[in-house]
Amino acid sequence: MSGLSITSHPQSKSESMSEQMPGVKRHHDGAEKEKEVNANASPFMPMFEAFRDELDEHHDRRERIIKASRDITAASKKMHYIFPPKSVTNRVRTLKSDIPAKIASETAERYTAMQKQFSAIAPDLTGINAWRYQRQISGGIQEYMEAVSFEHYLRHQALITISEAAGTLQGGIELTGDDYVLGLFDLVGELMRFAITTMATTGSLPGGGGDEKRDILVDLRELRTCFQALDTGSCGGTGLGKDVEKKMEVMKTCVEKVESVVYGLIIRGRERPKGWVPGIADDRGVVESY
Amino acid sequence: MSNPSETGMVDPRIFEELQNKIDEDAEVREQIRAIVQTLERQGRSAQSILSRAHSTPAAHLKPVLAAAEVAIKEEVASIKSLSDVASSSPYYKYNGLWTRDVQNVIFSILLCGWLGGMAHNDKAAEAGRLLTIEDVGEILNVPVNLKDRDAFHISIEEYLQSLITLIEELARLAVNSVTLGDYQRPLQISQFVKDIHAGFQILNLKNDSLRRRSDSIKYNVKKIEDIVYDLSLRNLVSKS
Repeated sequence: MSGLSITSHPQSKSESMSEQMPGVKRHHDGAEKEKEVNANASPFMPMFEAFRDELDEHHDRRERIIKASRDITAASKKMHYIFPPKSVTNRVRTLKSDIPAKIASETAERYTAMQKQFSAIAPDLTGINAWRYQRQISGGIQEYMEAVSFEHYLRHQALITISEAAGTLQGGIELTGDDYVLGLFDLVGELMRFAITTMATTGSLPGGGGDEKRDILVDLRELRTCFQALDTGSCGGTGLGKDVEKKMEVMKTCVEKVESVVYGLIIRGRERPKGWVPGIADDRGVVESY
Repeated sequence: MSNPSETGMVDPRIFEELQNKIDEDAEVREQIRAIVQTLERQGRSAQSILSRAHSTPAAHLKPVLAAAEVAIKEEVASIKSLSDVASSSPYYKYNGLWTRDVQNVIFSILLCGWLGGMAHNDKAAEAGRLLTIEDVGEILNVPVNLKDRDAFHISIEEYLQSLITLIEELARLAVNSVTLGDYQRPLQISQFVKDIHAGFQILNLKNDSLRRRSDSIKYNVKKIEDIVYDLSLRNLVSKS
C-alpha cells in the first residue's frame, strides 16, 4: 500500500505535493542541487502544472458567473415585487402610461445593479466562452428577460423583441433564443399577478379602457397561442425542449387563472353592477364584458 | 380587433424568427449527430483492434499497431468533417454532442502511442511514451485548448478524461502482461501510471465529472502495485 493514497482530501494533498516541489532545490550552502534529486518526481509535472492553471482559471470564471447569475436573479425578483400595486398611491395599474416616479427610480436602481453584474462578468463571457458557461448564466438572463419584458409591456403594451431585449444587455453578453423564450414564459406569470392584483384593487382589467381596445386578457391569450404554436419537438434532447414542456403547463395555468378571475368578476358584476348601491332603482342595462 | 395580427401585443415576426432559430439549430444538430454516429462505429472498431494487445506479446505487436493506425486514420477523417461542420457554430453550443466520442478517439491514440505506435511529424514511435495534448492535436489535425478564437478543438478536459481511460486500460494490460509471461511490463506500467497519478494530484478538481472519474486512478494504481508486489515476492523481476 506504500505510496497509495486513499484520501478524501485531494485539496490538502495537492498542497503538500507542491510544497515538496518548489522551483529549484538547493543545498544548504545555496548551490543548486543536481537534477537527480528530482529523479523520482513525475516527468509529466510541467504538463500538469499548465493544466492546473488552466483549470483553476476556468473554475474561477465559472464561480464568478454563478454568483453574478444569482445576484441578478435576486435583483430581478425584487423588481417584480415593485411593479404590482404596493400602496394605493403608488401603483402601476394602467398600461402604456408613465410609471410613477417613485417606482421608476426604484426599478432604475435595480437595473443598475443588474447591469453592474452583467458588466462585471462580460469579460468572462466573450469569444469562445460565450457559450461555455451558458448553463451557469442562463438562469440570471432568463430572470432579467422576465423583468425587462414586463417593464416593456407596462410601458408599451407590446412584447419586447429579441433584438430590443439583447440591446439592453451590457458588454456584448449574448441573449440566446432559448433564454429569450424561457424568459417570456415567465413573463406570463408576471402578467397574471399584475392582472389579478389590479382587478382585486380596481375591479377591472388593466388595459381595455378608453380608446384602447385590447385588455391584458386578450394579450395573454395571444401570447398563449403563440407559445402553443412554437414547435420545439426538434429539441427534445436539449435543455430547451425539457424546459419548454414544464413552462408550457405553468403558462397555461396562469392564463386560465386570469380567465376564471375575469369570469368571477362578470358573474358578480351581474349580481352587483358597478355603482350599485342599495335602494337605488334597478338599472342593469350595462354589464361589463370582456 | 378586426385584425389582431396588426394591432395585437405580439409582433408576429417575433415567433417566426424564433421558430426559424429552433429549426436551424435542429438541422445543425442533425448534421453533427450523423458524423458522431460514424465516429462511434469507427471508435468501436479501433478499440477492438487495440484490445488485441492484451493477448499479444510485446514483441509481436507490430501488425496490431499497424491495423490500429489504419482504424485511427479513419477516425481522423471523421474528426475533419466534424470540425468542418462544428466550426460554423459556437464550439460550446454543441460540444456535448461529440465530446464522448472525441474522448474515445483520443484514448485510442494515447493507447496506440503508449504501445509503440503513432509515429508522427518526425517523432518516432516508442513504447511507454505519453503523447501530449499537442501530439494528439497534430495527429488529429485540429487545434488544442483554443482560447483566442471560437472553433473546433480538443479541450484539456477531454484529454484528461482520455488519460484516465488509458490508466484503466493499462491496469488491465498489467494483469495480462503477466499472463503472457512478460514480467517487465508491469513495472513499466507501474512507474508510468504513478507519474500520471502524481500529475492528477496537483489539479484542483471541482465536483465535476473529471473529479469523479479521477477518483478511480488510485484504485488502478493500487491494482498495478499489487501486481508488482506479487512479482517481487516471487523474485520474478530483476531488482535494479
